[in-house]
Amino acid sequence: MSKQEQLQSILKAIKQALPELRSVVVASTDGLPIVHDSADAPRVAAMAATALGLGKRISQTTDLGPLQETIVRGNDGYFVVYAAGDKGVLALAAPADANLGLIHLEARDFAARLAQLL
Amino acid sequence: MEPLKVIITGPVGAGKSTLIRTLSETEVVDTDAAASEDIGKAMTTVAMDYGTLHLGDQLLYLFGTPGQERFDFMWDVLTEGALGMLMLVRGDRPEDLGPARRMLDYLLSQHPVPHVVGVTRQDRPPVWGPEEVALFLGLPKERVVGLNATDPKSAVQPLMRLLELMLAEEESRS
Repeated sequence: MSKQEQLQSILKAIKQALPELRSVVVASTDGLPIVHDSADAPRVAAMAATALGLGKRISQTTDLGPLQETIVRGNDGYFVVYAAGDKGVLALAAPADANLGLIHLEARDFAARLAQLL
Repeated sequence: MEPLKVIITGPVGAGKSTLIRTLSETEVVDTDAAASEDIGKAMTTVAMDYGTLHLGDQLLYLFGTPGQERFDFMWDVLTEGALGMLMLVRGDRPEDLGPARRMLDYLLSQHPVPHVVGVTRQDRPPVWGPEEVALFLGLPKERVVGLNATDPKSAVQPLMRLLELMLAEEESRS
């Protein structure tokens, strides 16, 4: 399987594991979409990279250790950005009634798998 | 004297992060990520840069924006509350001047503040000088300053010019 196919299969597995997700975007840390199911992927990828970059810096500056994720919570849902190694970003959009604990559990595992491919 | 917030913007590779690193008196907050495209450098700013600088008694907060257009949402976020704008362009990349003009027009339409254009890489001829860039951008020549972003004495020049304009603006308002 090519790298792109492997990435696509991880994308598919994420959506199977977390069917409530509204969108999934995997991007480079400088904000370019790699694989995704979002109509707005270029913009989401850029914003995810910004959120991750700023989150990393805040985590470092305030002695929180390595960043795990950046969470944006609105009235109508969540946007969660995970580091996928040094080169990648995994961004998930979920509705407000989603189980955030379950999302973290699955997403951290998928982020680690993505990290090995990117 | 109240500290003044200054926004430092301009196209990718203009020297925004470099200028802030050169001038900041406090540890710089930067947000670099590895560039996955060929943009002529290894790292690129994805969120912001931040540093501080005294010019005489006046404290400036320096906020640098990302240069790549896909991060344009950060331009507005960071420009909020800024009292002056320094736009950097590379003197050896005149093809960046068109995009720089559009960026400047957009930002000034949203945030009409005193502004100066800095033309970087003046130490690496052949480069466009500030007069040529002023002509191209249709700006008064006192609003365009040449500099080398790696040299503290040179990098501070456009900010001194900007501070004069900001203080004059403040005076005319009061």
